[in-house]
Amino acid sequence: MPEGIYCNKTPITTEEALKALLSDTRGTKYYAEMEQLEVDREKLWATIQKTFKSRMQTWLDVCARCGLCADSCFLYLVNDRNPEQVPSYKIHSTLGEIIKRKGDVDGAFMRHAMEVAWSRCTCCNRCAQFCPHGIDIGVMMGYTRGLLYSQGFVPWELKIGAGMHRVYRAQMDVTTEDWVETCEWMAEEQQDDWPGLEIPVDKEDADIMYTCNAREPKHYPEDLAEAAILFHIAGENWTVPSEGWEQTSLSMFAGDWEACKLQVQTVYAAIERLRPKRVVGTECGHAHRATVVEGPYWAGRPDGQPPAPYIHYVQWVAEALREGKLKIDPAKRIKQPVTYQDSCNYIRNWGLAETAREILSYIVEPGYLVEMTPNKEYNYCCGGGGGFNGIGKFRPMRNKALLTKRDQILATGAKLVIAPCHNCWDAIRDLEEEYHIHIDWSFLKPLLLKMVIVPEHLLPKDEDSEE
Amino acid sequence: MYAFLTGPMLWLSFAIFVIGCAWRVVKYVKGLSWQLDRVPYGYYRELAWKGALKSIFHWITPYGSRSWRFKPLYAAAFFLLHIGLVIVPLFLFAHVMLVSERFGISWPTLPAGLADALTILALAAGAFILLRRFALPEVRIITTPHDLWIMAISLAPLLTGFVAAHQAGEGNGWLLAHIVTGEIWLVAIPFTKLSHVVLFFCSRAQIGVDFGVKRGGQRGRGIVW
Ligand code: SF4
Ligand code: SF4
Ligand code: SF4
Repeated sequence: MPEGIYCNKTPITTEEALKALLSDTRGTKYYAEMEQLEVDREKLWATIQKTFKSRMQTWLDVCARCGLCADSCFLYLVNDRNPEQVPSYKIHSTLGEIIKRKGDVDGAFMRHAMEVAWSRCTCCNRCAQFCPHGIDIGVMMGYTRGLLYSQGFVPWELKIGAGMHRVYRAQMDVTTEDWVETCEWMAEEQQDDWPGLEIPVDKEDADIMYTCNAREPKHYPEDLAEAAILFHIAGENWTVPSEGWEQTSLSMFAGDWEACKLQVQTVYAAIERLRPKRVVGTECGHAHRATVVEGPYWAGRPDGQPPAPYIHYVQWVAEALREGKLKIDPAKRIKQPVTYQDSCNYIRNWGLAETAREILSYIVEPGYLVEMTPNKEYNYCCGGGGGFNGIGKFRPMRNKALLTKRDQILATGAKLVIAPCHNCWDAIRDLEEEYHIHIDWSFLKPLLLKMVIVPEHLLPKDEDSEE
Repeated sequence: MYAFLTGPMLWLSFAIFVIGCAWRVVKYVKGLSWQLDRVPYGYYRELAWKGALKSIFHWITPYGSRSWRFKPLYAAAFFLLHIGLVIVPLFLFAHVMLVSERFGISWPTLPAGLADALTILALAAGAFILLRRFALPEVRIITTPHDLWIMAISLAPLLTGFVAAHQAGEGNGWLLAHIVTGEIWLVAIPFTKLSHVVLFFCSRAQIGVDFGVKRGGQRGRGIVW
């Protein structure tokens, strides 16, 4: 059987196809069909010839096989220094082999490569910092994922995820109506406590356009409400677009570059339509990477920039605190040992390590911040990055991967972990569920709301006194 | 024989080395793709240069990168090997004399004792790196025969040169061997992993630009790569 009903080389582009694939519980039939899926060798080699350029060719050619990258990879360390987890080995035994054989590989090889690409690398890019040649295995693994995806060898959840972006332009089935309704509902819900609070949709020429992670409207709409309240307190002139509000990209995890482009173009179209002065993204690392760091290239913007300056949530918070738009009540600062989870995607891949620390200096009582080791640009991945969190088939490996972060957190002695990244937040939640180390974890928004000083004029008027 | 090896053959080896290396660099630069690589090569020139030079500088400085500090022993071996392979031959008295006899140009040379010491250290470093390949499972798994060949090709001119320089009496067997292995080494550079002689600078510059411009270089204190 060259292609299956569930598992094939065709991307999901319709709601029906999406529902059909979703109906295959846990991808049982999907993975069974993958056993028979054949490789289109000619197409594979043709794709490689078009896209495999000198940077990666050189990386493969000159790798000194020195193994300096081994210790840099948390997956190598946490898997008892299994040599098969050495970054160089992971890429040479997959992509390197495909190139060497000019695409002449079979299904069994591709299934193995899939396991390596999605369960032995989170594309955290840490190894690149330790390689004398500057070889970035994470980047090459991303490329390998693209090749695997184009041949149908992709974990079930990510095939669905990429399909979601193609069908709904969101990682979940949140439609424009759902989204706008959620905005209205959240604004209404807050009216009693926050008179005048709005979530303005499609306001043109605002100072800020806000974008988020589809899981917020879908599963924790209070996150959206919190964002609105904080903008309200800070006195921002802001808006959300009715379309182009979803900033994440499971298609990036899947290696579906076409879907990545479709997704990011939707956001950029919103920017061009509403002409905000700048865009603020939510507390999500991979969303930031997708829409701000890599997105401009998918969309073909040669300067590598989105159509308007686009900042991560920690940048907005740091600025609001610095400029006094948000003021913290010193009495309410965090006075318990607390640690900070650096998200690879906006720390290592966007340089916000110090920006994050600036926020902490406002919200944590001096002496209570205990840093993880290593941290900042040298942090280890939470253990669930690159799509790892969401793939059922690789759950046991993911759970093992969480041990790195668990031990890092335990070593700090902190009981609270601040994690302004959805994916890291999930990983930490899962590690608590799995290993019960009795910690709390939080985004920035709820913490800020607990300690921010609310200006007099924004408080609800006491009805009795009005009489 | 000697005349041939030090005449046409030497010229040919140098020509292959220079043209081959240039060709590798040209091919590298031509094969860059801003969109596929996701790096805005043509923009932010100043940041790009800064990123590229910073990245190269920190890695060619002994213990200049976090990775070098993290692996002090390997870093020592790495630098000793490269000093022996690059610096020593360039400033070796015998080599400079040859050039000055033929072309009338010369430059300062290394004291003989120091050159000897550096050569021995480089050989020892090479041996250490080879042993490490087999001793450590994480290096063994990625080692290929190519890596062993490369090490053999690189160490041969050092070893033969050292013996030739210290050989008492006549008989130029070692000297001939030194010339031949040196030429093999030069010719191998563009065609093997030894092309990192130039490609190291290309790929380091590239990732320096990547991180200096795109991934964080425009914010904060910038990342030293
Ligand atoms: S550190 Fe770099 S050169 Fe050394 S083995 Fe790893 S990828 Fe190859
Ligand atoms: S990118 Fe991260 S997870 Fe992947 S090999 Fe490198 S260090 Fe390991
Ligand atoms: S989830 Fe967070 S820590 Fe993990 S890879 Fe993504 S950004 Fe990095």
